[in-house]
Amino acid sequence: MKEIEVQYFAVLRERAGRSRETVTTAATTPAQLFDELVVRHAFGLPRAMLRVAVNEEFADWSRPLAAGDRVVFIPPVAGG
Amino acid sequence: MPAFAFSHAALDPGRECAALADPACGGFASFEGWVRDHNEGRSVMRLEYEAYEPLAIREGERIVAEAVARFGVARAACVHRLGDLAIGECAVWVGVSAAHRAEAFAACRWIIDEVKHRVPIWKKEHYAEGDSGWVNCERCTAASLQAADATKHDAESGGDLAPAHAHGHGHGHWHAQGFGHAGGLMTAMDYSRQLALPEVGAAGQAKLAAAAVLVVGAGGLGVPVLQYLAAAGVGRLGLVDGDVVERSNLHRQPLYGPVDVGRPKAEVAAERLRALNPDVHVTATIAHATADNVDGLVASHDLVVECTDNFRAKFLVSDAVVRAGKPAVFASVHQYEGQLQAYRPLPHWPCLRCLWPEAPRDGLVGNCAEAGVLGPVPATLGALQAMAALKRLLGLDAGEAPALVTVDLLSLETRRLLAHRDPRCDHDRPGEPSVPDDAPLELGFTTLVEAFESGLELIDIRESWERAHDPPGLQIPAHLPLSELVQGHAEFPADGRYLIVCAHGVRSLSLTEHLRAQGRRDVYSLQGGLAALRS
Repeated sequence: MKEIEVQYFAVLRERAGRSRETVTTAATTPAQLFDELVVRHAFGLPRAMLRVAVNEEFADWSRPLAAGDRVVFIPPVAGG
Repeated sequence: MPAFAFSHAALDPGRECAALADPACGGFASFEGWVRDHNEGRSVMRLEYEAYEPLAIREGERIVAEAVARFGVARAACVHRLGDLAIGECAVWVGVSAAHRAEAFAACRWIIDEVKHRVPIWKKEHYAEGDSGWVNCERCTAASLQAADATKHDAESGGDLAPAHAHGHGHGHWHAQGFGHAGGLMTAMDYSRQLALPEVGAAGQAKLAAAAVLVVGAGGLGVPVLQYLAAAGVGRLGLVDGDVVERSNLHRQPLYGPVDVGRPKAEVAAERLRALNPDVHVTATIAHATADNVDGLVASHDLVVECTDNFRAKFLVSDAVVRAGKPAVFASVHQYEGQLQAYRPLPHWPCLRCLWPEAPRDGLVGNCAEAGVLGPVPATLGALQAMAALKRLLGLDAGEAPALVTVDLLSLETRRLLAHRDPRCDHDRPGEPSVPDDAPLELGFTTLVEAFESGLELIDIRESWERAHDPPGLQIPAHLPLSELVQGHAEFPADGRYLIVCAHGVRSLSLTEHLRAQGRRDVYSLQGGLAALRS
């Protein structure tokens, strides 16, 4: 298990009811981490529509995660 | 008779008119500008005109040729006086002959407006009190001269800003402290505070004056973008918006007021911007950006600022700038947050589709109407867009890596997430609608029975715990929790026609959208979810 800093934007933030949290997880990739959190927060968006950034850089969903990584889930936003 | 000429002697409109006579023409329109005895509350005794003749004649001839081509008129000409003029004298004459009167009027009006705007002529007023002053009249000289320089600099710095118009003349000028009178350049604007920045200076101001920027959307983001770009002296601003001003816009679009409600935004914005900075040439298109008009609009500008509130337009603009090889700045907001992304037509730069390969459907993630918004949120993002646009025009973004910038106005946190070009992305999908847009994604029903009778199979994607309290008789037998689908523990049935159901219609809509994006037809989302049904 490792601790990951997670941050949410827009609809995901609303769903999660928070903009950030520290998650203790066995997930080894952002994809696994998101699938874990989908159940916890009942996110309304499928993963295919989101982007993930790890440590301030857009990343692949299958990239390995390390303890202390900062993960940001970003939905597309349209308002203007 | 030359198309454009200067005259040091009094003009003779009768002779000018005769020179345009043509047996094929049924209409002739002319305009005369006269020397007036007052200006801005002061009594004027006489006027003095001077011009930078070689450049002015070239630009004047170009204007007349453009008018002939644009309005399809037979002949056109313009003569401008130079030297000392007394009150009442004719200072400028424009004449157009055409088959019909409508083109003659339109071309005549257009020529005088363009001449006033583009031809480097200066006017000095001599007042009753004995003093005199150069007036912010006809335009541009220094900008024109230095625009050539600006273009050269841009090429040197590897900029991707090709001039939108081949002749690259500047439309606009500036007034530096202590510079105005000597150079004969007095305008309504004083750009000294930005000229003082070493990175701007006269060369930077000339780049702005020579630039043409297209702003798509004149709403919450577009208003500050337009205001700041106009105020900064960007030479040409094109704005595109098909909406009218609504009362619900005013709280976040303070360029408009209650008196404007019902009028086209593009029209009102253009009026306000012309008043804000008369140096700027504003062109308003009262229409939404569509596949039919977007390429033409993008082609005639150097840079595009995308300020709409919908994905359809964002992807349309992204595709167009990729095709045209023009830089662009995108932004969007959601409640207290915003996202900002700059695009540059460089080999390593990601486009909007690189970042969002599945073009999201509008309505899925909420817009300002549904999600709510406070004015300063789009204002902040719009100001950031204006800044990004100025940085590009001035070449201050060299070395900037492509990124999506997120801004949270509640926590005041910003994040710069480095983005990469996606080698699998095709960047531009001209044949494809920018967002899939076929059968409705959602179907509305008033009762569950009615939904059952629709002929679609109902499938409940709520989690098990959410189903625990469903009243007997109102249960949906087919159950496939979204969490199972998302984690890959279950698969959506390959065949059949389904109505996907959840509590409020949000998850079901996103799943429907996802399935449609994979090519599935005959899947629909129950609009508003179970909460919308009458029990």
